Amino acid sequence: MAKFTRIAVANRGEVAVRIIKACEELGIETVLLHSEADINSRAYRMATKTMCIGPAATAESYLNIKANIDGALAGGAQAVHPGFGFLSENADFAEAVTKAGLVFIGPSADSIRSLGDKVHCKELAKKAGLPLVPGYQGENQDVVHLITQAEKIGFPVIVKAAAGGGGRGMKLIKSSAEAGELIESAQREAASAFGSPKVFLEKYLDRAKHIEFQVFGDSTGNVQHFFDRECSVQRRHQKIIEEATSPSLTEDLRRRMGEAACAIATLGNYKGAGTVEFLLQDGEFYLLEVNTRLQVEHPVTEEVLGVDLVKMQILTAQGEFVHDPKTIRIPRGHSIECRIYAENPYLGGVPSTGLLGKVQWPEGPRRRYEYGFDEGDTITPYYDPMIAKVIVWDENRPRAIQKMIKVLQDSVVFGVHTNIPYLIEILSHKEFVMGTMTTRFIETYFSEPIKEPALSELDKKIADGALAHLRGAGSDQGTVSQSPWTSYWRGI
Amino acid sequence: MEMKIRVDGVDHKVQAQLLKGTMWVHLNGRTFTIDTAAGKKGRKKGGASGSSDQIVSPMPGKVTKILVSPGASIQAGQSVLVMEAMKMEYTLKADIAGVIDSIQCTVGEQVALGKLLVKIQPEKA
Repeated sequence: MAKFTRIAVANRGEVAVRIIKACEELGIETVLLHSEADINSRAYRMATKTMCIGPAATAESYLNIKANIDGALAGGAQAVHPGFGFLSENADFAEAVTKAGLVFIGPSADSIRSLGDKVHCKELAKKAGLPLVPGYQGENQDVVHLITQAEKIGFPVIVKAAAGGGGRGMKLIKSSAEAGELIESAQREAASAFGSPKVFLEKYLDRAKHIEFQVFGDSTGNVQHFFDRECSVQRRHQKIIEEATSPSLTEDLRRRMGEAACAIATLGNYKGAGTVEFLLQDGEFYLLEVNTRLQVEHPVTEEVLGVDLVKMQILTAQGEFVHDPKTIRIPRGHSIECRIYAENPYLGGVPSTGLLGKVQWPEGPRRRYEYGFDEGDTITPYYDPMIAKVIVWDENRPRAIQKMIKVLQDSVVFGVHTNIPYLIEILSHKEFVMGTMTTRFIETYFSEPIKEPALSELDKKIADGALAHLRGAGSDQGTVSQSPWTSYWRGI
Repeated sequence: MEMKIRVDGVDHKVQAQLLKGTMWVHLNGRTFTIDTAAGKKGRKKGGASGSSDQIVSPMPGKVTKILVSPGASIQAGQSVLVMEAMKMEYTLKADIAGVIDSIQCTVGEQVALGKLLVKIQPEKA
């Protein structure tokens, strides 16, 4: 295995920036494979080289295997990092990359097929004796047949994309009456997001916590785990807040789940970074799925363990990363990540797009901002609404929560609405503070759009002054003759 | 820009920026927007907004499925069309019972925020 001199980044937004930074740490050049819509982005500005691989529509660019490989070859790369989402869990892509004489930074195509396909993974888990959630994973995808299967499992049932993740192609079905419509919708979303309409069904556990283990297979195939994360705060099956380590695990559970995670990854001949997801309910854990890629929430693990998972991925692909048997990893302190979505929290989270104005993340120790766009860039409607991640670390969980709230309050994003006010409300909720939240936390406490707080008279006066100042009235005395308060105004 | 605004002798730190006639303000740990065109109505709220005999696009996105045809009777709460934005599907439902008067979009069309998509003839009371 030779050292890479240039790596192709087959992704966009904040994760593309993350990969470029890891490459810079290792002295490796990058070629960003981007769509026509992503020219105004940090990744585009940071990459050593860029190659446009197609138009905005994902099917023609980020999901186009041939375009990505042609771009990587033309850009003079020896390896491809797929990030997460898009083609990161597509075995055909991993295979095509290898066939083209490039190195796929991730597990082998066979590993992805056996673990990444949620249906195969469950068969493997059965062999390994891992506990599974009851469900239907058959080949027959006929809607009427699926409805019958759902009735057999017993509602509530969750329908999921076999090839997917990130909440797309996933719907909760509460009764037979709505099953048909929701299954069809899940199939359409799955086809559009992952190129395959295949879905499967699972019994919905209604008091479960989402706990996952970071696993890592080194260049020799030795798999170790890098402890756990909890991601129970989810909306529409998308994670919003993640933390490491989970506040919900006893030492015994942590040990057993960690062993189970390593066992299934080892069975799948795993190489590189992966995540084994579990549901935990009433002290029992069940395998949910294995994600054969880097996860969005990998930074919280990095923060509590002091490791760089993306660097490790690259070194593993170069054949030079081996777990040191003398290393004893002990998580220190607590880390929380909040995903910043471009959406309006006061309108129930409808997407918000447009030209970004000022973007400012407050400086300070042990906080980390992973973001893909700066002032002057445009947030387009073509891609995922997650535009940034805020990560903090502190000595313990209560302090980390306190710190995160303050950091979010001081973060400035102008031009598009964000879910920051919503995140602050969640972090302040007693259930979250106690650490007892389940995956139904959001639907239980945040089913209605949050209320926009009214502005005080003082706030209005200050805003009037700011407007006068911006309009060059030159006055910073906070009074203007023509107050806009008579007109409609709203917060975000 | 960041500035200090004096009110009753006290200086307050505030960040503000004018973008297309909207002022964005960050003050005391929160961000809000103000429509600076005095007297002009603010942007319509999302959802099946405006008058409920119209379904308008709550966001910029693509129409992926139209579930009704002109002349069809519908119930309040019935799904009328499906949109996709930022890789998620959103189903738009009718607010009121009535008859579909007209459909002003096509499948696959990229529509802007606030575009009228479907008109409904309300049920005669």
